[in-house]
Amino acid sequence: MNLSYRLRLLVVVLSIGVLAGGGFLFKQLLLPDSFGVYGPYRADAIAEAALVPIRHGTNTSCFKCHPYEAKNHKKGRHQTISCEFCHGTYADHVADSKKIGTLPVKKEKEITTLCLRCHNTEIKARKEEVIKTVAMPNHLKDQNVKLTHNCNQCHYVHAPLKYIIRAKQITGLMEAGS
Amino acid sequence: MMDRRSFVKKVLNGTIAGSLYLVWPMGGDSLEIPEEIPGIKGKDYDIHHQEFAFIVDITQCIGCGSCCVADKREYNVPDGNYRTWVERYVKGFSDQIYVDSPHGGLDGYQHPRTDIDEKIRDTFFVPKLCNMCKEAPCVQVCPVGATFISPDGFVLMDEKRCVGCAYCIQACPYSVRFLNPVTKVAEKCTWCYHRVRKGLLPACVEVCPTGARKFGSMKDETSEVYKILKGPGVLTVLRKEMGTFPALYYKGARREVI
Repeated sequence: MNLSYRLRLLVVVLSIGVLAGGGFLFKQLLLPDSFGVYGPYRADAIAEAALVPIRHGTNTSCFKCHPYEAKNHKKGRHQTISCEFCHGTYADHVADSKKIGTLPVKKEKEITTLCLRCHNTEIKARKEEVIKTVAMPNHLKDQNVKLTHNCNQCHYVHAPLKYIIRAKQITGLMEAGS
Repeated sequence: MMDRRSFVKKVLNGTIAGSLYLVWPMGGDSLEIPEEIPGIKGKDYDIHHQEFAFIVDITQCIGCGSCCVADKREYNVPDGNYRTWVERYVKGFSDQIYVDSPHGGLDGYQHPRTDIDEKIRDTFFVPKLCNMCKEAPCVQVCPVGATFISPDGFVLMDEKRCVGCAYCIQACPYSVRFLNPVTKVAEKCTWCYHRVRKGLLPACVEVCPTGARKFGSMKDETSEVYKILKGPGVLTVLRKEMGTFPALYYKGARREVI
């Protein structure tokens, strides 16, 4: 009686031990490394997320090799615009300090389309305090230029008012209200 | 072999100087990283003592879509999926709301909406991205622990662990997740975690021309987001009633914005 009770107890304890130990081993096998360091996830995934290659530089990265554009861009009204928005990403142009590709330069009608992405009065959600907008083709008519003109024929895209201001100084013309 | 005379001539012409410029290393990393978020570059990153905030100023957004373009390029996001996008809200005098987002704002907004008959009362753009919830529903539902909140407050994806069950995509109240058709795993905006860890601003903040998107560290008392969050301006979060406690705040968001 007593013996069979002890035997049964031993069997129960042993089986619990085997199940728990087996379960623990099984869990160790299935769980990836670093799982549970910070929580129920793989802590290494954070380091992996931090290692994704950077594709966009900053304007400073571009200005390093393009001093002429830098000089004008920094002074003009377009100084807050990212070079890479119009020209493409840094990673497509430079790798390991070497030029690996040529970024496309927008031409003709593409430029007008690009300008009107921001400067189109028709989109009423743009506030005057934030951005100066123009209506096309009214702007061209007002300025007495051909309707086929592209924006960059008067506005230098990096500093849009640079030559406009210069021209006004030379001709002595003043804009109404100024 | 080049004689001295022609060598000097070429140097003065710039043909050799130019080639030397290409050969000489520019020193250090290829990408000279300026410090945009102070206190990260070149220092030990203490993952437990970081807090970041993102503020979207709707009153500044002009709907140019620069952020969407930058985001697509930074991650090569497949066509038809968006990690971030810009919505156009139009509110009529009958309080009817019209929302559209053609191509997620990738091509910008070149034309006004023509399908609205009534008089328009208010119109504005709303950029959308991951809200980085402190109580993230997507993390809660993930059956394999493939998405998680990192100790520095980012909701990130473990692409190696994701099984593509799309449960998180259903759970996200802000619809910022999608199943990548190429890798077949869930993908989401990370606030450019890889850039932040190097002290750079997220790509969308980097390219925003009007400063409608602001990002910064809450541990840095000089950062713009710290000053805004400390100040009296009204900031709102999206779907507050869901109790997700986002770290993305909106300035100037009308009550209709969800």
